[in-house]
Amino acid sequence: MTVVNLQYYAQLREQAGTSAEQVDTMAGSLRELYEELRIARGFSLAADALKVAVNAQFSGWERPLRDGDTIVFIPPVAGG
Amino acid sequence: MSRFELASTIVDTTGQRDRLRHPASGGYCAFEGWVRNSNEGREVDGLSYEAYAELAVAEGERIVAEAIERYGVTDARCVHRTGDLKIGDMAVWVGASAPHRDEAFRACRYIIDEIKHRLPIWKKEHYVTGESDWVACTHVYREHEHEGHQHHHHAPAVPFVPDYSRQTRLREVGEAGQAKLASSRVLVIGAGGLGCPVISYLAGAGIGTLGIVDGDRLDASNLHRQIMYDTQDIGEFKAELASRRVAALNPAVQVQVWTQPLDAGNAVDVFRQFDLVIECTDDMRSRYLSSDAAVISGTPLILASIYQYEGQLQFVAAKPGSPCLRCLWPQEPAPESVGSCVLSGVLGPVPGVLGAMQATEALKYLLGLPQPNAGALSLVNLIDLSIQHLPIDAAGGCAMHGGCVEVARRALARSMDEQEIDLAFDRLDDAIAAGYRLVDVREADELVSDPMPVAGAMHVPSAQVGARAGEFVDGRYLLVCASGRRSGHAARLLRDEGVQNVYSLAGGLHALRVTG
Repeated sequence: MTVVNLQYYAQLREQAGTSAEQVDTMAGSLRELYEELRIARGFSLAADALKVAVNAQFSGWERPLRDGDTIVFIPPVAGG
Repeated sequence: MSRFELASTIVDTTGQRDRLRHPASGGYCAFEGWVRNSNEGREVDGLSYEAYAELAVAEGERIVAEAIERYGVTDARCVHRTGDLKIGDMAVWVGASAPHRDEAFRACRYIIDEIKHRLPIWKKEHYVTGESDWVACTHVYREHEHEGHQHHHHAPAVPFVPDYSRQTRLREVGEAGQAKLASSRVLVIGAGGLGCPVISYLAGAGIGTLGIVDGDRLDASNLHRQIMYDTQDIGEFKAELASRRVAALNPAVQVQVWTQPLDAGNAVDVFRQFDLVIECTDDMRSRYLSSDAAVISGTPLILASIYQYEGQLQFVAAKPGSPCLRCLWPQEPAPESVGSCVLSGVLGPVPGVLGAMQATEALKYLLGLPQPNAGALSLVNLIDLSIQHLPIDAAGGCAMHGGCVEVARRALARSMDEQEIDLAFDRLDDAIAAGYRLVDVREADELVSDPMPVAGAMHVPSAQVGARAGEFVDGRYLLVCASGRRSGHAARLLRDEGVQNVYSLAGGLHALRVTG
């Protein structure tokens, strides 16, 4: 199990009902983690529509998870 | 159909009024001018009007059309009498119908003021004494010339000289910095929640020329966050209101106004006229167009967007090796996935904060100050008051697809090909008569709260359009949503799927209500 810290923005924050949470996961990569969360949290956006950042740096989706990673999922937003 | 008439007999006011009835109109306002029994101290017992008919009708039509355009009323009409009239007879009738009363009143006022000022109609007064005289109509007070200046009771005796001392006192600004600002040209796209602080601060700072682009008119729902505007401005073009606001705030600033959004055909040329562009719209399509035009023209761009309580900020330097919007999100997302102030809601100060940040970045850039986080996507969270900067790696973006400029050129070329997708109609009946099958792509709850003005439309929510592409067979389809954004995106998606007979109602149902 890996313990990671998650931060959500915009639509994902709204759908998750929280800005941040800590999760234990068996997922091997960021993509697998997001797919788990998509089902658990009911996220409407596909991973390809998002950007993901780990420890304040943008990352590719295939990156493996490490204990203590801070992971941010960022959707594009349009309001003005 | 003519909206201005000369009449030699009594005006049929009921018939005129009925011709202004329209489902989109929430009210109607009329003005009647009557013959009174005195003028400038002389008792009058009647008068005669003589008109240069062809010119009067042409000019009258023009005046009514100007009023409709200027105030966005649904319709307006005017009748002017000719011949002999007695005391109490109606000399002129003006009527306007509109979604909201304010526009109707103002359109009526505009028409009567301009009629009296411009129409080639001459009045001969018959006095009780038996004399008569031709009376010139001079010194007409035209209310619309004073719009936006209601608060000025006294004209200043000397021209206003801006005082920039509070910013020139900053060591990094000084007189040299002020001179840089005065020689700068900045284009602001969108005069809404983000645009209001951007335009206000840049005007106050003494930017030489501000370009302002916005195709929308002010709505009451804008006022909680668009702090340059007043209730009396509702219905007017925001770009024009913003231009007047700049003139009132700092007359030293030159303003150029666009009341139509930029498009793939003109954006690059317009960007080339400016040193910096600030993207403040709530429209993803406009953001991508701005990013493409910025990298092609080499004009730096400051992007911001907001969602409820948070926002994103990105500075596009438009130099080789620096990232653009497409480096982050290569494809324009579907409008329904990115939210909007209309659908998701927004707290008023949130665009205020992000707009103030855009204005700060703009001044820093123009003054040559350091911008340490310029290459990052900045996430601004106003719930916990945090700002997170995520550096963007340009090598992982457009660089893998030929570079930002090449990617932008391909995107603009595609937009040019797709420009004929957007069709403008004054009424949906006109579209049906032209052979289009209507497809409502809004969500089910929107259909209930705001029904289509005509019956018989298919209903395919925008998110399902791609999966149901097979239903668009035979004939031509006009996709319709509230603003034209979802329908435009869905139509382009269908074109990509090989369905060529689909179009989008430009401006959506909202545009019908304004022009209808």
